[in-house]
Amino acid sequence: MTRWEQERGRSAGWFLTPALALLAVFVVWPLVRAGVWSFTNADLLSPERARGVGVENYTGLWEDGRFRRAFLNTWMFALLVVPAQTAGAFFLALWVNRPEREWQWLRVVFFVPVVVAMPVLAVLWTLLYQPAQGGEMGPVNAALGVFGVPPQAWLRDPALALPAIALMSVWQGVGLQMMVFLAGLQGVSKELLDAAKIDGAGAWQRVWHVVVPAMRNTIIFVVTVTTILAFRIFVQPYLMTRGGPGNSTLSLIQSVYETTFVSQDLGRACAAAMAFLVLVGGVAWVQRRVLKEERE
Amino acid sequence: MMWVVAVWVVLMCVSGCGRSRVGQREDEAEKVNVIRVWSHQGQEAENRAMREIAEAFNAAHAQRGVRVELTFFPDFQYAEKLAIAAAARDLPDAFDLDGPMVARWVEAGLLAELGGFWTEEELDDFLPTIVEQGTVDGRLYALGAFDSAVVLYYDRVLLAKAGVEVSADVDAKGWTWDEFVAACGKLKTAGIEPVAMHMDESADEWFTYAFSPVVWSGGGALIAKDGAEVRGVLASGENVWSLRAWQTVFAKGYAATDPVDPNPFGNGKVAMDWSGHWMARGHLAAKGGRLGAMRLPRVGEKAVAPCGSWAWGVSARAKNTELAALWVKWVTGVETGVVPIVRANGAVPARRTAFTFFPEYAEPPYRLFREQLETAARARPRTPYYATLTGRFAAALRDIARGAEVEARLRQAEAEVQAVVERREEGRR
Repeated sequence: MTRWEQERGRSAGWFLTPALALLAVFVVWPLVRAGVWSFTNADLLSPERARGVGVENYTGLWEDGRFRRAFLNTWMFALLVVPAQTAGAFFLALWVNRPEREWQWLRVVFFVPVVVAMPVLAVLWTLLYQPAQGGEMGPVNAALGVFGVPPQAWLRDPALALPAIALMSVWQGVGLQMMVFLAGLQGVSKELLDAAKIDGAGAWQRVWHVVVPAMRNTIIFVVTVTTILAFRIFVQPYLMTRGGPGNSTLSLIQSVYETTFVSQDLGRACAAAMAFLVLVGGVAWVQRRVLKEERE
Repeated sequence: MMWVVAVWVVLMCVSGCGRSRVGQREDEAEKVNVIRVWSHQGQEAENRAMREIAEAFNAAHAQRGVRVELTFFPDFQYAEKLAIAAAARDLPDAFDLDGPMVARWVEAGLLAELGGFWTEEELDDFLPTIVEQGTVDGRLYALGAFDSAVVLYYDRVLLAKAGVEVSADVDAKGWTWDEFVAACGKLKTAGIEPVAMHMDESADEWFTYAFSPVVWSGGGALIAKDGAEVRGVLASGENVWSLRAWQTVFAKGYAATDPVDPNPFGNGKVAMDWSGHWMARGHLAAKGGRLGAMRLPRVGEKAVAPCGSWAWGVSARAKNTELAALWVKWVTGVETGVVPIVRANGAVPARRTAFTFFPEYAEPPYRLFREQLETAARARPRTPYYATLTGRFAAALRDIARGAEVEARLRQAEAEVQAVVERREEGRR
């Protein structure tokens, strides 16, 4: 290493300091605190009385029926949402990827739910899903009624509530991923597509053999981000069903929130939050390993 | 660059996160005795009244050099805000909290005992429910300026139209559950929606608060007397029986499980309203002489009324407990606190002598509020596990109204609460 390089390395450290300091105060420090608390029986109202309990908070998590249910629900939600949202966004992007004004307008339409505040959408969809009662049938049931499907109590039926919320979430989030795919599509070489066309490839073959391989990195990015967002599900079920009926839409985040502020069991809540961090980090890491990005 | 991170973490540990600031505040406080007070944000009129009460306090205590500094926090995040302040050792000197939460704060050692600051005579002037709600293990920790009531409002004209008779003494006694269901049936047959139960209420507390009387009137309880055992209590035979009776009202379509309209009684769409004192003004204005109010229907022998509301406590860590208690005395004093706040929020005065300022309490429905608080009300359980209990019980009630099997659903709630109780009880041993 030359002297100049050494100098540069040293000044880089100083330039990084403000950012690292902020990270240390607002990310690393709280994480360390939470990590320490997760091995104690800390009470939210009087954490100074905390005593160490070893790994008991972690081993006990799985015995806790509500946590177990929240864990399974969150996985289920991710499994429903990630493929549907990724595929949906991809095909929407292909569909609206045209230069005319009308199509640009359509992009805006699909993007609107991303911009509107989630609580507003939650109320809206609660009304859409309204079961037939007191003459106030919701539009979803009314629409299905046209096809002869009997009205369902979407958010009140333990088997339907989570899929119903997943559907609403896909609708809400799909516009954002569509925009990312649209950006990716601009990078697909026109020559390649034209060449494939001349060689006699049909529309479907062009998508599968030209567009998808060319967009590999974009797809990986979208899948990873969608997965992380899906695991963080909280607002929709909290506002639409409060985690019910039974615990059928209870999310991991709601479970952590309630352990912190309702049962005020800070130690256990920190353990659950750390477990959640490891889970999401682990899933993202596995995805990156399996779906390697291409880099020149 | 991990060393930079490491240095920062160490620095934060050593400095203890700005503890020096607290010291500064104490220096300032030496000049004037400032009592830090936190309160939940209510309706605008209520906040204005609170500010005026604080100003009057400051004026009255200026010579002694004592002053309150009042801060409001939005209702929906107030409980969280208080809990975080406790964790950060930054509690105000005095604060209000919801009555059923007092036991939890006492368990955490955060509330100062207040018994010594009131004479026996003064305490006798408070409604018994208000003293009961603030008393844990025989010691007084909190007192409120107002109480609450839930009744069954009814529209005389609509009931008459359906041929439902209301005898003269029914207001004070209330219906039996069978009479209630029969009345609903007649209304439904006459094409009138029978009753609003406000199942769309977003706060969990509505469910425990408004429907515990059903459980109590059937001879059951939510948690054992010691406040640390729900097994065999929450899902007891009595409770299963009482809540099955409650469920029929929804099963038969007499009350909506997912109402869209928040006030269907006020705008004439339903004939009866299972609701609180806060609707009295609006209902009277809308109905006038058509408005009736009776005690809640009872499943068993004895009618039980709900009660309880916000209560004032003093932090056990207050710099000066006596000064903080001075504020609580002021805000629960008849003319200094109770009368102005009740004028603003329309709640039931917590002190007997305060009723003379409110002539409406000679007439129904107000007369009934006072009557049932003095004779038939029961405070919600005083247990450190109340927050968990009410959350799980409310979730069960929501599901039961929508058709869940009563016994199985109560057992689930019971198991969930018991798990939390046992974890904490073990931790403490």
